[in-house]
Amino acid sequence: MNQPTRPPRARLCWAPIVLAALVAAGCKGAEPNASATGEMGGTMVVAMPGDVGTLLPGLVVSMGDRELTDLLYDRLAEIGDDMNTLGDKGFTPRLAERWDWAPDSMSITFHLNPKARWHDGQPVRASDVRYSLNLIKDPAFGSPVAVYVTNVDSVSVRDSLTAVAWFKRHTPEEFYDLVYQVVIVPEHILGNTPAAQLKTADVGRRGIGSGRFRLARWEPGQRLEIVSDTGNYRGRAKLDRVVFVPSADFNAAVTRFFSGEADLFDQLRPENMAKLAGDTVRHALRYPNLQYATYAFNLVDPKQPSRPHPIFGERAVRRALTMAIDRVAMARNAFDTLGLPLHGPFPSSIAVADTTLPQIPYDTTAARALLDSAGWLAGPDGVRVKNGRRLAFGLMSPSSSASRHQYAVLLQAALRKVGADVRLEETDFATFVAKQNTHAFDTEISLFATDPSVSGFKQTWSTAGISKDGSNFTAYSSPVVDALLDSATTTFDPARTRAYARRAFETIIEDAPAVWLYQPPTVAGIARRIRTTNLRADEYWADMADWWIPADQRIARDRIGLQPLP
Amino acid sequence: MSARATRATSFGALLLARTWRDPRSRVASVVLALVALAALLAPLLTPYDPAAQLDIVRLRSLAPSLAHPFGTDPYSRDVLTRVLFGARVSLSIAFAAVALSISFGILVGVVAGYVGGMVDVVLMRLVDAALAIPRLLLIIAVVALWGSLSVASLTVLIAGVGWFTVSRLVRAETLVVRDRDYVVAARALGTSPWRHVLPNVVGPGIVNATLAVGNVILLEAGLSYLGIGVRPPTASWGSIIQDGAERVSDLWWLTVFPGLAIVVTVFACNALGDALRDALDPRQLPLSASEDLVHRP
Amino acid sequence: MVTTLTFVLVHLAPGDPIAATLDRPGVTEAVRQQWRESFGLDRPLSEQYVRWVANAARGELGYSFSHHRPVRDVLADTLPRTMLLGGLALVLSFVLGVLVGVLQAERPGGARDRWLGRVLLLLYSVPDFWLALVALLVFAYRLPIFPAGGIVDPVMHDYLSVGGRIADRLSHLVLPVLTLTLLSAASIARYQRSALMEVLPSDWMRTALAKGLSARAAVRRHAVRNALLPTITLAGLWLPTLAAGAVFIEKVFSWPGMGLATVNAIGARDYPLVTAGVLAISVLVVAGALLADIAVAIVDPRVRLS
Repeated sequence: MNQPTRPPRARLCWAPIVLAALVAAGCKGAEPNASATGEMGGTMVVAMPGDVGTLLPGLVVSMGDRELTDLLYDRLAEIGDDMNTLGDKGFTPRLAERWDWAPDSMSITFHLNPKARWHDGQPVRASDVRYSLNLIKDPAFGSPVAVYVTNVDSVSVRDSLTAVAWFKRHTPEEFYDLVYQVVIVPEHILGNTPAAQLKTADVGRRGIGSGRFRLARWEPGQRLEIVSDTGNYRGRAKLDRVVFVPSADFNAAVTRFFSGEADLFDQLRPENMAKLAGDTVRHALRYPNLQYATYAFNLVDPKQPSRPHPIFGERAVRRALTMAIDRVAMARNAFDTLGLPLHGPFPSSIAVADTTLPQIPYDTTAARALLDSAGWLAGPDGVRVKNGRRLAFGLMSPSSSASRHQYAVLLQAALRKVGADVRLEETDFATFVAKQNTHAFDTEISLFATDPSVSGFKQTWSTAGISKDGSNFTAYSSPVVDALLDSATTTFDPARTRAYARRAFETIIEDAPAVWLYQPPTVAGIARRIRTTNLRADEYWADMADWWIPADQRIARDRIGLQPLP
Repeated sequence: MSARATRATSFGALLLARTWRDPRSRVASVVLALVALAALLAPLLTPYDPAAQLDIVRLRSLAPSLAHPFGTDPYSRDVLTRVLFGARVSLSIAFAAVALSISFGILVGVVAGYVGGMVDVVLMRLVDAALAIPRLLLIIAVVALWGSLSVASLTVLIAGVGWFTVSRLVRAETLVVRDRDYVVAARALGTSPWRHVLPNVVGPGIVNATLAVGNVILLEAGLSYLGIGVRPPTASWGSIIQDGAERVSDLWWLTVFPGLAIVVTVFACNALGDALRDALDPRQLPLSASEDLVHRP
Repeated sequence: MVTTLTFVLVHLAPGDPIAATLDRPGVTEAVRQQWRESFGLDRPLSEQYVRWVANAARGELGYSFSHHRPVRDVLADTLPRTMLLGGLALVLSFVLGVLVGVLQAERPGGARDRWLGRVLLLLYSVPDFWLALVALLVFAYRLPIFPAGGIVDPVMHDYLSVGGRIADRLSHLVLPVLTLTLLSAASIARYQRSALMEVLPSDWMRTALAKGLSARAAVRRHAVRNALLPTITLAGLWLPTLAAGAVFIEKVFSWPGMGLATVNAIGARDYPLVTAGVLAISVLVVAGALLADIAVAIVDPRVRLS
């Protein structure tokens, strides 16, 4: 009988009782279990700050939910590591084992893998693909990704394993639009419920997909457990189970991780790095992301959006304030050596990123001179005044974000040095978003999480994105940029896409509607015994089904095996 | 009965004398005086400005040293300076809020007790309903409405949720006194009865106020811990703890020093309050003791 | 009346909960409007209120869109957890508080009384979240004796034997209950002591002493019974304070109870959950007062319900 390896930090007080229990559990799991040999087996516990929202792919908004649905469901094909979104280069088969383009590229025929099954045993059919697309496009369902699939006209079913997707226009990203955004869901489970009720209906919480993990149980507020789908068409996941444990906040999640209760926590902060320095059980795992944070000015008057902002409507003022901000020092302060500089309105992992673009320098002397020449002269208390108006404005940030709070305080002090009186307005997330959408702020720190495509930029930086449907919170409007972004999204030549995008970014940087603050460093703390695979830039968990634990490093909970609950 | 009325004027002097005999109150008063002095003299005691970020790369998060006895925070601000100036903020919020709430509570209590009838019923129903909701949730809800608050608004808000217990207390006192001979006589004569009601109220009022100051300091600290207290870059003891809330193990000085300041000050308030209460009249305990307990956040 | 007040307050808050939930580039206004409609948030405020009251009377409390479950389910899960925490803390702090108060009152002014008094006053002056943070640091982080939070071990619990499961639950309860208890016990002890002090010079106390009982025995037997009454009433009134104090404790220890859920719900503008949470607390207060009255009737020989 194997003695289970004790976790390195033993629970002293309850050790005898728990040890006895563990021995009992270990005895149960020590029977010859096919899944416990080789690379198969193991349990990973993931600490999440916050809780799970939804398990329906079309309704996902948070990254945590996205991780879960990606593990439980499949797409037709997966994007390659290079994040290419033009054509189908780099995409690898999933539910679709191959696909054919029509000669005019107005339709693509997908041939489904005949071995693909839903977790309840039913085969995956072409009608499921059709249902999935229609569901997302259905306004009654209310999917946040509906706007991304407007170019996909419909899916027709040729036979049970062949689905044909029809497009309205031939665009460079049409394959990506359909395959990346539409996660395939089972019609026979969800189809009987009206789309409008799926949000709240019980059937939407069953998480029945075709992924290499399936849902074992979900106790809201306590844990969500997924187990390996042993009969999966792509092979079972190597880990036996992954347990997601929600925590009240960051502190609680970090404590769980460092105490050994959790194996993975994906939002470590720089101050936790020192603690990992000599740790033999766990280490840091840096992973890429597609996020960037800006200090954005509102270019329109919050009280009258048709008029320019009395302070930030002027380009000179924006450029001057940008020069007052030492982005490098702030990044060092907030993120230690982990901080990544931001070179423009894009994360550096994206295909069209360009880190060589000219930047506005940090120069407080020039900043003051520029403000003087713009008519903002220093008043008696040091705050600048022009035409009776003080250079005083608000800085909005969500109270939920610690790093943005940190930056808010740093920015306030930096701007005070050049004569601006900044008032911090930290609000709850709901109010923050509402004010962003209605341009009811002076300045704000916004964090964008982009998807790999180029067309996302139109949402944030084109004139069309100023409405409530887009994310152009600064109300930046430039016909030059509009034209360049249009060209970038309609050309089929990747080199030309990059060139157009570069020129658009250059113009935006010149106009300084925002200060490019930082790319948030994403570092996960993970137990050393867990072997990971390649980490994709948009989703580090993409290949989690291939993560494994060597047999000689397993601890007690790895040996539970795939037995059903007692 | 009239002896009590004449004692009103020397009441204050008598109370002070009895309190001073109690060693607890002597120590507590000295401590409180020191804290208040430190708060007043803050600019003289430190060369730094509480909001000054000295060097955001090299001087951030330093452990306590000779140059910075309480260390620096993640924004490279000197913590000792912030604790000293924080005393100003925390104490002024506490005193102002308590003064406001006690005054308002006395007003409402006297009116309810004296006028009686429908007015009394309505007022006390309101008080009962408000007391059912934990103070904390009430404040959180209001802060959610108005976003972050200035120090003044925060003070008014804390005062606004703190007057209920005082009003109940005062109303009870008023009821007792209302029907006494000299008050009835005063009313018949047309002179104001307040002169007779107020002195009886002042005693427990002072006790309640002293203890309330301590409670408000704790409440403000709690609110700041939740992130809904004073706005940056203003320093209050609670907000300094909040700055270091997520790094308690690393930056212990951000939690320990303001925390100690809170404990010492509140301890002194409570000790003084206890001494005052004992000096006042041991028989009045039940009412004031329960009021001080329910006044907690 | 309480609930009306809360309903109005919460709904007046700026901020659209649906917009917050759907904060992603590309989400159109039409989609947000559709979500609002499906949750009934687009009707006029008065209509929403009437519908809410009618439903609440039937026990139907609406849908919490921050938890993605019916409010009833959220309350059913979280309320027992908070009550477990609060109930245990109340009982323990009551027992501890009375004990300490009695110990103090036996020899008022004596060394034991004075030192206990100082310790209690110190505890009473400590912010509750601070104590919780320190406890968490020392006992779960630095010396890993107790788990860092939660109710049970997220993975192993179901695979443990019955004894193991009990031990697991207990170990997760220790720190939160202890922290809550210490602070409440301090208040109750102070109160019990002063209540006893008031009773000491009274007539029947002198009678008891005259009958030949030693001071200590007299205190214990008679005084406690009489001084218990106001303390019991107090314990009943303590319930809303316990619920609020539990908020900090629940936050620090990740205890998924009602205090934490309500606070988070206020931030998320989850109107149904907030109003239901406040309703629950109000009910608790009334229940607490009732229970206290009953307990007083039992304990006091002079008061009997006719």
